[in-house]
Amino acid sequence: MKKLIPFLLLLVPVAAIAQDARTIIQKGRRFSVPEIAIRRGESLTFTNNDEFIHQIYVQDLFDTEERMPGQNITEAFPRTGTFDVRCHIHPKMKLVVRVN
Amino acid sequence: MRLPIPALAVAAALICLPAHAQTSWDMFDGGKLLATGGVSQVEGAGGGGLANWALITGYGTRDGIGGNVHYTAVPLPDYSLQSAGVAVGLLDRLELSYAWQEFDTKDVGTALGLGRGFTFHQNIFGAKLKLIGDAVYDQDSWLPQISVGLQHKENDRAAVIAAVGGKNSVGTDYYIAASKLFLAQSLLVNLTLRETKANQFGILGFGGDKHNDYSTQFEGSAAYLVSRRFAVGAELRTKPSNLGVAHEGAAWDLFAAYFFNKNLSLTAAYADMGNLVIKNDQQGAYLSLQAGL
Amino acid sequence: MKLLALSVPLLVLFALAAHADDALFADMGGQAGIDRIVDASVDNYLADDRIKTIFDESNIDRLRAEFKVQFCQIAGGPCQYKGHDMTMAHKGLHLTNADFNAVVEDLQDAMDKAGLPFATQNRFLARLAPMQHQVVSR
Repeated sequence: MKKLIPFLLLLVPVAAIAQDARTIIQKGRRFSVPEIAIRRGESLTFTNNDEFIHQIYVQDLFDTEERMPGQNITEAFPRTGTFDVRCHIHPKMKLVVRVN
Repeated sequence: MRLPIPALAVAAALICLPAHAQTSWDMFDGGKLLATGGVSQVEGAGGGGLANWALITGYGTRDGIGGNVHYTAVPLPDYSLQSAGVAVGLLDRLELSYAWQEFDTKDVGTALGLGRGFTFHQNIFGAKLKLIGDAVYDQDSWLPQISVGLQHKENDRAAVIAAVGGKNSVGTDYYIAASKLFLAQSLLVNLTLRETKANQFGILGFGGDKHNDYSTQFEGSAAYLVSRRFAVGAELRTKPSNLGVAHEGAAWDLFAAYFFNKNLSLTAAYADMGNLVIKNDQQGAYLSLQAGL
Repeated sequence: MKLLALSVPLLVLFALAAHADDALFADMGGQAGIDRIVDASVDNYLADDRIKTIFDESNIDRLRAEFKVQFCQIAGGPCQYKGHDMTMAHKGLHLTNADFNAVVEDLQDAMDKAGLPFATQNRFLARLAPMQHQVVSR
């Protein structure tokens, strides 16, 4: 049992990483926040609570399918840096993601 | 003097209107496409020259209102007919109109013993309600735009009307109209059925010694859209023959309508009104100007 | 027999009408003609005080490209429009009939500029008109 506890403690950070990604809401043709800081490897879930169809892209990282109102999509950020998340349909939407 | 039903309907509509409108001038949204309110027919309703159409007058869309005034002159060989009026279209659903008509018998007046230039006047109050369909948007359907309406007419020469065998100087026409724009063919078509007792549009009153019941009459129009501003067409309107003193037949016209913009249109036609008050072959020019929003 | 006599000319009329519509894409100048019309009409929308704010949040280049494919398909050309459902695409804009009609007028101006005969314009507009049911939500 004593040998098991360190092993179980190791599982805690793994469990933390495996938790639900943070959620960004798309509404009023805007992201719910203008910027967000996350750790390398984390994911963001984008939920379309809008009256409009959305998609998201980051240059050289991902470029998703369209999502109808009510749908969501999760994308991971495997590299450090600052990334602009945009929507091809609505060019004024921008989310700045700082990954460290 | 009793209030005509259309006046009460105006009041009711104006009370309900603020629920849809923003500021007062925004209501005149001028949003309909050019020419899609028709012109003013001879009794004041929206339509062609002779026929009532299912279109609601004016350039207000279903979110607003439109209206116009018109003046029409029909100089005929032995008579002259003039009309002037005002009409409003509310929410592209209800149309209310008033037209004043003057029929000058000129020399025929003398012949009839009434005096030269004896004139008849009519006040015509109209109401039209769109029931179903949209003549312009429903290009993918056979359904026409269908409206029902009435035209209540009051003639000021009761005694003369009685003398020629007319039974009443006041009468109401009821009608149902179906209009459809076949856009791919640039063709607008209208069919109207009218229940009426009117003798010569009401100029000689309503009902007669020969026949004193409502009869079903037909009016049809076809218009070809030559350009956004210009349409040409033809109309036919049948009439009852209620008076023994004057056989009455159908009236028809060939027209050209020019829409300068959404504020002004001019319609010119060659009209055959048939027999009018003892004189045959009353064919002549028809000119009508409509100004509005 | 009378019914047959009446229906034959009607069938001929509709066959003629349908045949005329097969020529619409060519009569509009093919893809090049449609591209010109789309570009001119979008320029008109953006300059039209009645409706220009509708496009404030839009990706105009993407719209132009989508219109070109969609109009090609509607005119009977060899294009497959793989865009969104029209109702879903316009729902959030709360468009009125006045908005829709303003777009039609701007499109008519663009087709005038392209030299399309009025009758040809109407053949195309007849195919666009029923979109009102999906595009107008207010």
